[in-house]
Amino acid sequence: MERRKALKALVSAAAALPLLRVRLGAQELSADHVFLLRDVAATVLPSALGRAGQDEAVDAFLRWARNYKEGVPLSHGYGHPRLARSGPSPAGGYPGQIEALRQAAQSRGGRFGALPLETRRALLDDAFRAAGVRNLPGRPDGTHVVADLMAHYFRSSAASDLCYNARIGRHTYRAIQVTTFRPRPLA
Amino acid sequence: MPVHETDICVIGGGITAVMCVEKIAEINPRLRITVVEAGRSIFDRENRGEYRRRALDYGEHPWHDDFIEDQQAKGMISMTMAVGGQALHWGGACNRFSREDLRLKSMYGLADDWPLEWGELERWYVDAERRLNVAGDPSPYPDDERSAPYPQAAMPLSFNLQVLKAWAEQSGLRFSPLPMARNLAPFGGRGACGMYDTCGDVCPTGARYSPDYTYQQLVAAKRVTLHDRTLVRKLVLDPSRDTIAAAQGVHQDRPGEVMDYRAKVFVLASGQCWSPHLLLLSANSRFPNGLANRSGLVGRYMNGHKFISAMAAIDAETFPGQNMTHSLISREYFRCAPGQPFVRHDTRVWESSFGKEPRLRDEGGRLLLGDELLNEWRGRARKGSSVRLRTYYDSHPAADSRLTLDPASKNRYGDPMPAIEHRLDAAAEAREAATLAHCTGVFERMVRAGNGRLLAPPTVSDYWDHPGGGCRMGASPSTSVVDSFGRAHDHENLFVIGAPTTPTGGVTNGTLTFVALSLRSATAIAS
Repeated sequence: MERRKALKALVSAAAALPLLRVRLGAQELSADHVFLLRDVAATVLPSALGRAGQDEAVDAFLRWARNYKEGVPLSHGYGHPRLARSGPSPAGGYPGQIEALRQAAQSRGGRFGALPLETRRALLDDAFRAAGVRNLPGRPDGTHVVADLMAHYFRSSAASDLCYNARIGRHTYRAIQVTTFRPRPLA
Repeated sequence: MPVHETDICVIGGGITAVMCVEKIAEINPRLRITVVEAGRSIFDRENRGEYRRRALDYGEHPWHDDFIEDQQAKGMISMTMAVGGQALHWGGACNRFSREDLRLKSMYGLADDWPLEWGELERWYVDAERRLNVAGDPSPYPDDERSAPYPQAAMPLSFNLQVLKAWAEQSGLRFSPLPMARNLAPFGGRGACGMYDTCGDVCPTGARYSPDYTYQQLVAAKRVTLHDRTLVRKLVLDPSRDTIAAAQGVHQDRPGEVMDYRAKVFVLASGQCWSPHLLLLSANSRFPNGLANRSGLVGRYMNGHKFISAMAAIDAETFPGQNMTHSLISREYFRCAPGQPFVRHDTRVWESSFGKEPRLRDEGGRLLLGDELLNEWRGRARKGSSVRLRTYYDSHPAADSRLTLDPASKNRYGDPMPAIEHRLDAAAEAREAATLAHCTGVFERMVRAGNGRLLAPPTVSDYWDHPGGGCRMGASPSTSVVDSFGRAHDHENLFVIGAPTTPTGGVTNGTLTFVALSLRSATAIAS
């Protein structure tokens, strides 16, 4: 029994550890990069997620980037169909963008997450404007890693539920009858 | 030259083909039926959940290789060419036309009458609804009488659609759930709806009717032989009579080898684009303008309907994402009183998240972070609702609403590809402004009655939806290509079925009508 408890604790601790290194196609994010992305997530994602939820959102985003496939036919649409293929992995610019953000934070006094909120806002604002980010992309598109992280979360079914404080469950399995009622609140 | 002999050779493998084949096999199980389809079979159902996930996550097309890159048409609204056709990823809308669609000439002096009676078409609607397992409720309009109930009760309205129905009916229009070919419980070897809400892309359970299931069942039961990835390039006439002797096709893997399909009856089931295209391609010295084309009408009267769209904002609270692929329909304007300015259209209502998406910056341009972004989003999203409105309206085609062969665009074999250009007839063109004004008035009436507002002036589509025509049916060989069963006036053993045979495009989704007509054609083909 004790042994099982210890093993469970060990597994749980391992799951909570930050990722060491992440391979994203041809790119690799170092442990420092992942740490910084998690640090930024605490600023750009809702606090309701808690630290663990924010880390999970980063992990989900990195999984998304890792599983991205280049040159795959995209939905060709209806009405005015056209053949388009997925472009280069958005992750190509991520290491450089994260590194630039780290250096910018250092020049303002240290770790991104330890800076005053308005300084963090100014850093991201500068980075987004330099990259040409105008709004949240429909899907991560590589313009800037932080905007991509935000888009990946805020355009999710879970974020929609959080916004409406309702168990809508867009695009998930739902019994038909469940959808005939006003969605229940999250909490 | 390899020769494949069969009793009935069906060219094209979409939803009308499979319904027709299923029916023929029931009527006369001894008939040998071969379906020849240019596209491939996509039967890996076990991967459909994963394809769907990647479509949602990455925008990838969930139907791998369902198109042939050099076999495309200008003016075609979908690239799909596969076993199952465009109905692999249709929404499942199964609304009927109305009696007026078949009597436009005699009731209003417009366009043309169809060469069959409403009561006759209605009974084939019943058969089509049974096969597609349509979920629907009786229309609240008495003129929409039915001879049999729907096989399933309507899709239960989501909370959102209940709210929108109550809102929309304040205008005096009556709305119903749009009839849908979706299983509420397992049926026909397909699963029940899990409200994944991606019907128009891919349904992971098969609840939304999909022809690939029926093809697999027919092939497994040896009711049909399926030759996929084989493009029929030409129909060949019998040297001594005006009957079709063979269909000549080429398999994608053997481009140099012509396959000769010999049959007693040929059924052209390739939709409104590729059916007239093949007839035009098959021109010969006896039919220099194309087969079945003594009338000169193959590729003419290409139809469908234009549509008018608008977004509205209302006070009521909804939760976007419950069932965005389902809608409400009012058939209030399916009928136009004689003597009134002519206008006919359906009226549709959907839930929407328009204007309710998260934003990176507030109205002043300030970057929003974390809780700020969430709170700004909440402030907009939870303040009232957005509603999507649309009308499909009667868009009668001119004779020169055409499909032609485009010499500038050829496939790998050198065949000219089709180009479709839709054109309204003079009367329809003349009433365009009035139609827009009328539909705008309907939307304004709805928002006024429900304390809402239109977010922008309604807009007219730049393409025609649910296209048909190109081989229109009629009683006279001089004014039509086929009779009401789809039999070519010029060739007794050639049938054209489904969408191409329609003289006009109606004012609502066309698939159920195309299927009903094909089932009726099946009775003549089987006999």
